[in-house]
Amino acid sequence: MKRYIARRAGYAVLSLFLLSVTIFLFVRLTGDPAALLVEPGAAPGDIAAIHHQFGLDRPLYVQYVLFMWSLFHGELGQSFYYQTPVMGLYLSRLPNSLELASVAMLFSLVIGIPAGILAAVHVGRFWDSAGKLFTLLGLSMPSFWVGLLLILLFSVYLGWLPSSGAGTPWHLIMPAFALGWYFAAAHMRLTRSSMLEVLGSEYIKLARIKGLPQILVIAKHAFKNALIPVMTLAGINLVLMINVAVVVETVFAWPGIGRLLYEGIAFRDFPVVQGCVILGGAMIVIVNLFIDIVYAFVDPRIRLGS
Amino acid sequence: MALQRRISNQISTASSEDGMRRRDLLAAGALGLAAAGAPGWARAAGSKPQGKLTWALHVSVPATWLDPADTLGIISPFMILYALHDAMVKPLPGNSRAACLAESWTTSKDNLTHDFVVRDGVHFHNGEPVTAEDVKFSYERYRGAAHELMKKQVASIEALDKRHVRFHMKKAWPDFLTFYSSASGAGWIVPKKYVEKVGDAGFKQHPIGAGPYKFVSFNPGVELVLEAFDGYWRKTPAVKQLVMKVIPDEATRLAALKRGEVDIAYSIRGELADELRKTPGLKLEPVVLQAPNWLYFPEQWDPKSPWHDLRVRQAANFAIDREGMSKALFLGYCKVTNNAVVPYTFEYYWQPPKAVYDPEQAKKLMAEAGHAGGFDAGLMYCDSSYANMAEVSVNNLAAIGISVKLQPIERAGFFAGYTNGRYKRGIIQGASGAFGNAATRMASFVVKGGAYCYGSYPDIDELFPQQAGELDPKKRGAILAKMQQLAHEKAIYVPIWQLGFLNGSGPRVGHASFGDIPGFAYTAPFEDITLKST
Repeated sequence: MKRYIARRAGYAVLSLFLLSVTIFLFVRLTGDPAALLVEPGAAPGDIAAIHHQFGLDRPLYVQYVLFMWSLFHGELGQSFYYQTPVMGLYLSRLPNSLELASVAMLFSLVIGIPAGILAAVHVGRFWDSAGKLFTLLGLSMPSFWVGLLLILLFSVYLGWLPSSGAGTPWHLIMPAFALGWYFAAAHMRLTRSSMLEVLGSEYIKLARIKGLPQILVIAKHAFKNALIPVMTLAGINLVLMINVAVVVETVFAWPGIGRLLYEGIAFRDFPVVQGCVILGGAMIVIVNLFIDIVYAFVDPRIRLGS
Repeated sequence: MALQRRISNQISTASSEDGMRRRDLLAAGALGLAAAGAPGWARAAGSKPQGKLTWALHVSVPATWLDPADTLGIISPFMILYALHDAMVKPLPGNSRAACLAESWTTSKDNLTHDFVVRDGVHFHNGEPVTAEDVKFSYERYRGAAHELMKKQVASIEALDKRHVRFHMKKAWPDFLTFYSSASGAGWIVPKKYVEKVGDAGFKQHPIGAGPYKFVSFNPGVELVLEAFDGYWRKTPAVKQLVMKVIPDEATRLAALKRGEVDIAYSIRGELADELRKTPGLKLEPVVLQAPNWLYFPEQWDPKSPWHDLRVRQAANFAIDREGMSKALFLGYCKVTNNAVVPYTFEYYWQPPKAVYDPEQAKKLMAEAGHAGGFDAGLMYCDSSYANMAEVSVNNLAAIGISVKLQPIERAGFFAGYTNGRYKRGIIQGASGAFGNAATRMASFVVKGGAYCYGSYPDIDELFPQQAGELDPKKRGAILAKMQQLAHEKAIYVPIWQLGFLNGSGPRVGHASFGDIPGFAYTAPFEDITLKST
């Protein structure tokens, strides 16, 4: 088991290293940040001064070593645009993202799981078709469009909710819905297929032959087992909601990490983009590592097979 | 002081009048009269600031915008500087070079020294007086746009006493005031003692300035809150509190304006601007930026190219429907000046003849040049943000037989390619909002060696050093006017317009101050902004 955990942890570190190299190089392919900080026609001396200030006049490998050096010291460098430490910016936005992601996740689970169970239990009938339609809409309607429709309806026409910003529970409703909508559809689809698989298994058939009531078969025997992949996906989705709710946070001017990432990309703020991607990636890698270890504990075939 | 020539406020205005049209001055005057007479937003003298106004900003505010020392070569930081800080000399309504923290200034006849007198009785927000030492400190601390250029030209700065400052030039530099007053942040003053006490980082966390509004709180990229400074020298601001919220999405900004969550929203374009205009209670607030757009023919110095023929370039000029394009894309609020690279608000601006849209004349010129059947011009390169404009130009050129394919490129890549000389064939749709005056624009876009020049004309080139060494503003203006005229006559560029920047204000706003400072994109001066009286 120790060897298994050590190997998994090794893979996690390797993944993060590869992620750091990839994001470091890719972000530099997007162009010169100085071009966005001066007007076209600016003096070449001003552009050179910006390159020097940001260390962009140094060789690429030196920039990478400095980036990794600050990473090992728990820092993510200084934002080009904000001129403040990226870690501070990230941490200042994190509570807002956690708040939004938690409510959106709750919404997606509360809608997605019961809808998925209903569709699986009534497969091929009305509830299943309704569920399929819900999934289709949820996965195909872009969140920015959903967000704008919500603003138009609930802010502009009805005047019930604030159009943007954060601070009160009222501010949270529309962005959480817009963000959770897509994930509710994804959770519904996975719950349905997982439930269908479990409902077709031998032990469920046995439970039915024994004469257990339908509700007990579903709630006690099927649902618990069907929930494992859904919760695994939900864990990963939660990390995504925290870190990459770029569109929803931008539309609703929600001051979270997604918007920080958007600003980082828009202004070619390399340290901000690198920091957000590395921290988001680290969260995903840690969640995956945790899930792998839990699976290994639960299922000996995994640790022995590996 | 016998050798020195006093440049009063009025005289400095006169020099800027070269760059302002009579109509603008009349408009500015009318604005002043309206301010005095309009009951909707007039305010009794001596009344206390009251109420709150909320802005929806289209860009995030970084901490660097709170510190004049870090002013980059873009206009955006000035949206905050005008509220929080003050400059020795800066553009104000009706005066592109108004005395602010400087009461007056004089320039020696040989242009080697510039003396400033600090206004008597002006204070920073912490109550400390603004002194010559603060002016010297702020200049020496400055590290933003044009910092290298100024360092190269200015030998030293001396605080003669508490109220007198002297700049010593290495050699005569007629553009010193252009850069000190508007083309950089070097003339914006910070309190020396306070900055030394809290350091650069501390200053950005809690900036203290001498502007009409003082700092209350700041959440980077989210919100900035300011409060009226009762002791502001020009006048006490009318509005007690300003809240500047960042709302990146344009449609959301409009929704927030419609709901009354914000009172002023920057950058509402296209169809949304039309909706804003039609919404009762909201007001469309267009301003014309100091950012001309143009088409450029990099092949014009190649004798084998059709663009080498002046008549073909003139034909392209006749082919572009500027007014139609402005109406379709910017509700008609762009300003067609017909000067390709110099904005009308700049010092030494030359006004060309009116732009003419005449496709028939264009076809005639094409035929005379031996291209009656048209020709394939290759690619038109443009910043992808302005591809909609370029599309119209492509269609206009196609109408006279010039076939060109649009090649939109992401902003940074486009300007890198432009300066690196990568677009040697075809047409370039360019733009610039850089600070400066007619001379700086000529240097970048027309004269040999300019960062954005693919060729030049010797008769224009030889005028450039003449103007650079000319200390008499009138004579210098005449040379720069001649250079602009030659560039126009040679049709080096097809001028399009100066871009219209569309904003909105809500029903609570009396006077938003959009456009009070010609060429400036945002609301300013903040002390002139009022709430509507009920």
